[in-house]
Amino acid sequence: MTIHRVIRNVQRFEGWFGGGAVLCLVAGLYLGLIGSPPDYYQGEVVRIMYIHVPLAHTSLLGYTVLAVGSLWYLWKRDPIVDNMCQAVAALSAVFTALALGTGMIWGKPTWDTWWTWDARLTSFTVLLLILIGYLMLRTFVDDPEKEARYGAILAIVGFVDLPIIHFSVEWWRTLHQPQSISMRGVSISSGLLMPLLFMSIGMSLLFSYMLMVRTQLLYLDRLLHAKKGRLLSQFHLSKSDS
Amino acid sequence: MTSFNVIRWILWKDFVTELRSRETISSMVFFALIVILIFSFSFSMDQQAAREVIAGIMWVAFAFTGIIGLGKSFSTELQNDCLEALQMVPEAKGAIYLGKVAANFAFMFVVEILLFPMFVILFNLEVVEEISLLLLVFFLATVGLSAIGTLFSALTVQIRAREVMLPILLLPLVVPVMIAAVEATKGALNGDPLAMYEQWLELLVIYDVVFTVVSFWMFEFVMDS
Amino acid sequence: MIACHGIGKAYGHFQVLHDVNLTIAEGECFALFGTNGSGKTTLLKVLATLERPSTGHFEILGMHGLKDKEAIRANLMFLAHGTHLYDELNARENLAFALALRGRHPTDRDVKRVLDRVAIGAFADMKVRHYSAGMKKRLALAKTMLAKPNVLLLDEPFTALDTAGTEILREYIRERLSDNGTVLLSTHDYDKTRPIAGRAGILRHGALQETAIEELQPDDLV
Repeated sequence: MTIHRVIRNVQRFEGWFGGGAVLCLVAGLYLGLIGSPPDYYQGEVVRIMYIHVPLAHTSLLGYTVLAVGSLWYLWKRDPIVDNMCQAVAALSAVFTALALGTGMIWGKPTWDTWWTWDARLTSFTVLLLILIGYLMLRTFVDDPEKEARYGAILAIVGFVDLPIIHFSVEWWRTLHQPQSISMRGVSISSGLLMPLLFMSIGMSLLFSYMLMVRTQLLYLDRLLHAKKGRLLSQFHLSKSDS
Repeated sequence: MTSFNVIRWILWKDFVTELRSRETISSMVFFALIVILIFSFSFSMDQQAAREVIAGIMWVAFAFTGIIGLGKSFSTELQNDCLEALQMVPEAKGAIYLGKVAANFAFMFVVEILLFPMFVILFNLEVVEEISLLLLVFFLATVGLSAIGTLFSALTVQIRAREVMLPILLLPLVVPVMIAAVEATKGALNGDPLAMYEQWLELLVIYDVVFTVVSFWMFEFVMDS
Repeated sequence: MIACHGIGKAYGHFQVLHDVNLTIAEGECFALFGTNGSGKTTLLKVLATLERPSTGHFEILGMHGLKDKEAIRANLMFLAHGTHLYDELNARENLAFALALRGRHPTDRDVKRVLDRVAIGAFADMKVRHYSAGMKKRLALAKTMLAKPNVLLLDEPFTALDTAGTEILREYIRERLSDNGTVLLSTHDYDKTRPIAGRAGILRHGALQETAIEELQPDDLV
């Protein structure tokens, strides 16, 4: 149960994570929306990048945490790690959906279309589908032990699949639309870099903060369920004895 | 050698069951025929147009019928709780996985071979010359589908709403197989030089190897608490 | 030998098993009574290594229930409510398949002997699909006989068996006991269990209470 103690100790500092997230995000938003010049090619539109890119990074980070946590769970079977996995999956799903949404909004003025089968957009869609599948799977299992185990299996298989999905989609894109409009076209000048850095750190801190709160909530919920079960069976037992 | 024996016996059991009940392959073939029929109603096309979309239609039909076969693979183990007996086999579960993958691969491959002439006839394809390359594409893609599909068949069979959850979980994960199979099939049907779609065959090989290994490993956790 | 130490099993807030402590020695038959839903099957499934206990641990033949599962499985048979038989295979094929998965290949003579012993020798080549519930139960028993387990877990073994079948089963249990086997059976049929069970316990809402089998009250067994 050492991991339990580690998580507990990290959680003592969750307020610092929350506060740091607010500071970084405020600084990043100020620099990004007011303090930085508009992009030479994209004009003001480029500012959505300060939201979109950090969201995308953070959701990938979240999926990595999910995969590592799932491996750990299958190895050690610590219930709190499973609570962490469940929390991180839901958060990653939200962040992925937001990244897709902001990507589409960015796409409208730049490419004049809400949707294009760009390699990243497509792989993020598949990632979102996997995460939603993960969350659905968890609701369809009755035994919490099985729920945790099956979720971990799906998360690990999905994590291995992710780079393969990305490469296959990318190859497929280059085949069908050779010199396509790619997000890589945006060259990042130093003026854009600073707000992006702040936003990325802030978003990761925000994610970590929400992850800690959510993990704690799920963990306490599990303890509560266990307690309720024990009390209920004691109650039935005392009733049948009398 | 016991592991090899277990693979053989699982394969034997699934084949004998299929020969006697004729449930899996017949339902797969029939379902695929309906899919093909609906597709040919939905697009009225000349031969040139057919060439463009036929590979896609083919793999949509194969994937959906494959999911029917995969679903049945473990749902038949629920009769008389046979799954419990498989879980209690006093050995590593990898042998059961390989036996099931082999059986599922065989069923899917047979169905694909049976269906291919239907595509040729219904969509007026000129008979392809690169038939051996086409078979190689079918083989590689079907190995990938059955390797990962068998794992998720075993996983979803023990949860609620399993008929829905198998495709929901499986289809996003097999996106690379679908893309590579469609592109390579297109190439083989058009008689393109191999170099033009070689990379898709390589992708399929990588996918097959990676997911046979990962699923083999994960199957242990599906079967064993 | 079976030894449970504080086994608990919960599905969410539904506590199915509650701190079950139980030791069954070799050559001993323990009868587990309890109403429907009292946790009998869950306890058997935990001991059969099919489900992981939420709390506690157990040993079977001195082997740890979570660490030495494979070794336990090689020495244990679980005669479950579902009979673990394939409908499309006949009796012989079912036996051959089940034993092959355990790494054993019984001879035709052995197969014939056990099928005759459970009195379904005449239906050896019939598909299990056409079997009645009692015949399936007898075939499952024949499978257990071929596997020769040291530990035998039986879930409601008397259901669907007729008088003759019940006697065959009891005879087999006696044989296992004299051979130093360990038997744990769940049941709600006092009269059929009484002649073979050495000790007994009642599961009430997941908690096990051991009692002498003579002292069981009729309303305990409903």
